[in-house]
Parts: sequence; C-alpha cells; structure tokens
Amino acid sequence: MSIAPTRRTDFSRDWTKHLIILFFILIELFPLYMMFQVSFKDNATFIRQPWLPTNPLTWHWENWSFAFKLILPYIANTVFVAVTGTVASLFLAILGAYFFARHKLPCSGLLWAAFLALMLMPGVVNITPLFMLLKSLKLLNTLWALILIGIAGGQVFSIFVLRNFIEDLPRDLFEAAEMDGASHLQQVFNVVIPMSGPIIGTLAILSFLSMWNDFLMPLIVLRDKELFTLGVGLIYLDGEYVKQWGQIMAAYFVASIPLIVVFLFTMRLFVRGLSAGAIKG
Amino acid sequence: MAATLSQQKLLREWKLYFFVVPSLVMVLVFAYVPAASAVYHSFFEWAGGDTKQLIGFDNFRRAFHDQVLLDSFLTVSILIVFNIFKMVPSILLAVLIHRLKSDRWQYIYRVLLVVPMIVPGLVTLFIWKFFFDPNLGVLNGLLDFTGLKSVLVSLDHFFHWNIFYANVPIGWLSQPELILPSLFVWGFPWIGAVGVLIFLAGLQSIGQDVYEAAELDGIGPIGKFIYIELPLILTQLRLMLVLLIVATLGGYGLQLQLLNEYGGPGGRGMVPGLWMYNRAFYAGEFGYACAIGMILFVFILLLTFVNNRYVRIEK
Repeated sequence: MSIAPTRRTDFSRDWTKHLIILFFILIELFPLYMMFQVSFKDNATFIRQPWLPTNPLTWHWENWSFAFKLILPYIANTVFVAVTGTVASLFLAILGAYFFARHKLPCSGLLWAAFLALMLMPGVVNITPLFMLLKSLKLLNTLWALILIGIAGGQVFSIFVLRNFIEDLPRDLFEAAEMDGASHLQQVFNVVIPMSGPIIGTLAILSFLSMWNDFLMPLIVLRDKELFTLGVGLIYLDGEYVKQWGQIMAAYFVASIPLIVVFLFTMRLFVRGLSAGAIKG
Repeated sequence: MAATLSQQKLLREWKLYFFVVPSLVMVLVFAYVPAASAVYHSFFEWAGGDTKQLIGFDNFRRAFHDQVLLDSFLTVSILIVFNIFKMVPSILLAVLIHRLKSDRWQYIYRVLLVVPMIVPGLVTLFIWKFFFDPNLGVLNGLLDFTGLKSVLVSLDHFFHWNIFYANVPIGWLSQPELILPSLFVWGFPWIGAVGVLIFLAGLQSIGQDVYEAAELDGIGPIGKFIYIELPLILTQLRLMLVLLIVATLGGYGLQLQLLNEYGGPGGRGMVPGLWMYNRAFYAGEFGYACAIGMILFVFILLLTFVNNRYVRIEK
C-alpha cells in the first residue's frame, strides 16, 4: 500500500477543514509577521509601506543592533532568575514529593493538607502583603526576591504532580536500593530522578515559562535599570514618548529569541507540557 | 498497631522530615505569611510604613460604597462573558483539527498553534497595543483599507453614537466608549493554544469508526459535534470555564499594560484586581488594598467551591 495517494485523498476530502484551520492560524501568526517585517523599517518607511516587507537590501539592521544592546542585559537577568528558580524549585519539589510518596509518617497528612490548601489561594490577592514582606526582608530591588517567589509559587503544583508519579514507580526499585544501603538522598538521585525525566522536563518548562513571562512581580520589586528582567524592560520601552516602531519591534523579536531556541529543542515536551499544565491547573 | 508501626518508622525514618522542610518553609514564608498578613492588615489604615491604625471594618464599609470598586465588578463580569464567548474559536479549531484524517497534519497544526506561545505574553500584548494605535495602527489601517470604516461611520450617523467620524482616526484605547469593545477585539481570533490542546486531548478517545458509523446514520457535521464531540470535551470545557473565570476575576496585567493604572480613559477598563493594585502602589493605601484583596479572595473561593461541588474532574 502506497502512502502518497492516501495522503492526497485525505487532503482533498478535508480541504474545507484545512482552509478554515489555516485561516485561523494565519491570523494568529499575523502579529508575529508584523513584528518581523516592521523590525527592519524606520518610521518613515513604515508609514509609507506598513504591510509588506521592504527590499532586504534596504533593511535597517541598526534597529537590531539597538535591540540587542538594549535587550541582552534584560535577557541575562531573566535567564538567571528563570533558570535558578526552575532548578531550585524542582529540586525542592522532588524532595518534598519523595517525602509524601514514600512513607506515611506522623503529620504527613496534615502537611499534605497544608500544601493542598494553597491551591485554593489565588496568588494575585497576595501581592500587596508580599511586597511588604519583601520590603521587611530587605529583598526589594534584588533578583533573589523573584527567584524565591518563583520557587515558592511552583511548589504546590509540582509536588502534587510528582507525588502521584513517584507513588506509581515500582516499589521493588526502592527496596532494591535500600538493600544496597542507599540513603534516601541517594534513592532520590539514583532512582527517582532518572525514572521521572519526562515529567520533570514538563514541569520544568511550565515553571520556566511562568517565571519568564511574569511582569507584575518584577514591576513592583525592581527599581534599578541594571536589574530589569524582560518584562519590566519591555514595559519601560513601551513608556518611551517618541516611538521608533522598528527599534521596538526588533526589541520584541530579540526578547522572543531565547524561548524560540528552547522551543526548537523541546518541541514535544513543550506541546505536552502545555496541555498537561492546564489540565492540572 | 498502626500507631506502634508509625512509631517504629518514626525512629527509623525521622530524617526524612528534612526532605519536606525546605518546600514547607518556602510555602510558609511566601504564601501563608502574606495571606495572614492580608487578613490582618485589612482591618488597619496602613500606608505601608511602621505606623498603622486599627479601624475595624471601616475598610470593608468603604469598599461597599466605593463606586469605582462596584463598577469594576460590573466591568469584570462583562469581561468574563466576553472571555467565555472567546472560547468558541478554540473549540471549533480543536474539533476541526481532530476531524482531519491525517495524523501528520494534526501534528503540524498542533505545533503551529504553539508557535505564538513562545513569544512572551507581554510582547503579544504590546503588539496589540500597537495595532490599536490611532494613526499608525493596523486596525485602523485595515478598516480604512476594507472600507469598513465608512460602514461604522454610517452606523454612527444612524444610531447617534458620536464615536466614529469620517477622516478622524478611531482612538481605540483613548475613547471611553471604545475601551470595552477594544478589550473584546483584543487577541482576535482568540485561539488559546492551551485550550485547543486540552480539547484535543479530550477528543483523542473518539476513533474514526465512530465517525463512519455516524455518517452511515446520516448525521451531519453539526450533529456529530452535538452527539459525539461535545459530550467528550464537556469535562475539559467545564474545567477551562472555571480556570478562565477565576483568571479573569483576579487578573489585571492586561488592563494595566494595555490601558493604564486607572483602567484607561473614564476608568472603563477598571477591574477589581487593578483597583487593588492601584490603591496599594499608587495611592499607598495598603490596608484598603488588603481589604479589596480579601473581597476578591472570597469571590474566587466561592467559585472554587462551586467548581468542586458541581464540576467533577477526573485525574
């Protein structure tokens, strides 16, 4: 049975569906197209020809060099926050989940309830007292404030998912490790982490995305321009009075590059992580 | 027996408690302490400094007579209705993608859907802000180009809205009457990648044979949706609905960035979360902001309970 003919008939039978889907997706991608083509124009060119890309020979590459110079420090800060936060958050969550999954110790039910209750608490209403807490801890205007909040914010969800996962791992593995005299920490490193690669990857992407995209917290925490993360940096750029759209669009594009790179390498995890993430809350 | 067992266990395994302590400390300090502090400070007049004054329920009494807050609840209800409507394209798209015969194309479309998500949300938001720009924006350009602008102008003449005029660029984000319509248009065509992926996950269990059987029975495309697809995504639909309502109710980032800290001209885009933020960080009324936060919290908690009671989500 040849594959090509069936594919062709499939396509011709479904062409209305393909058309509608493509229509939606093209509109969805339109902002990205605008971002890309405007990033090579100066304001005069843009007003003359807003829709179509100009001749590549006349592209204004200086927009991009401006964008790189402006955005790279922000990216560095954001990478620092998001990577440190994600790694620390997941490490703590794995330890916590291991505690709940492996043994039922006194008070573990109570502790579990303490974690679960947080699922009911909407984060947004905490922002005012959180600001005052950071102020009294002298963490305002530091990147550590963002990292700590990121770690704390990710705990409940990650522990919830990981606990179920670790409980489903075969008991024999742990028992065999115990026979060999492995401590709990060794069991975490040699049994749990190697066995739960995909789920940790998924959780890592979710946690990374939420820290990467956050701008409300950085906006109230950070004051110095040197510490700005992407979110605050972009807001700052938006506040400029005379707007050079080409420069701004180039800056937006540069701001998106790190995630594009992450996406290219982890496409499958990304697609699965996003659907899993929203299912679990 | 269970008690002695756990006592024995405790002697042997007490070190295991150290595993949960770090997360517990993080959660206590950065979630429970602020929450308790919010409850406590909602009874104070507090500018954020060392001096605060206990004023009992005055903050709450003030909130119930605060016209801005009351209006903001109306606005957020309208936004919730908007957002529920905006789920329709995602459902439609998920069903269409699922009905494709080719798995290959299904995967390609799935990846294409995720692509806009790799652009930071803030960038998408600012690009839309740029689309709304009266002079350079894409939206006005599109309306001029397609001639829809003249339709809007003649509608305006007919209904006496006094919003659209020929030769005057439409100020989407600067005219009070247009704030809500702009918030509606925002993000067109309203495809939520996460939503589509979730609906697709729900649809996965329908095999091609079910469709073929339906076709033999002479059931049309709409019938298939009502009898086959809708029942299967009902769980996901309800889940999305709850998440969406809770997120809209508490959210204010969009309004803060697209409009400003006062919800745009005439405060038409003011939502409760934004008013809380405004009071805390622009007016320095931290006590009052905590009280608004508490009111919002009660609403969200209520919704969560309704959700747990009437919406069962299997894992």
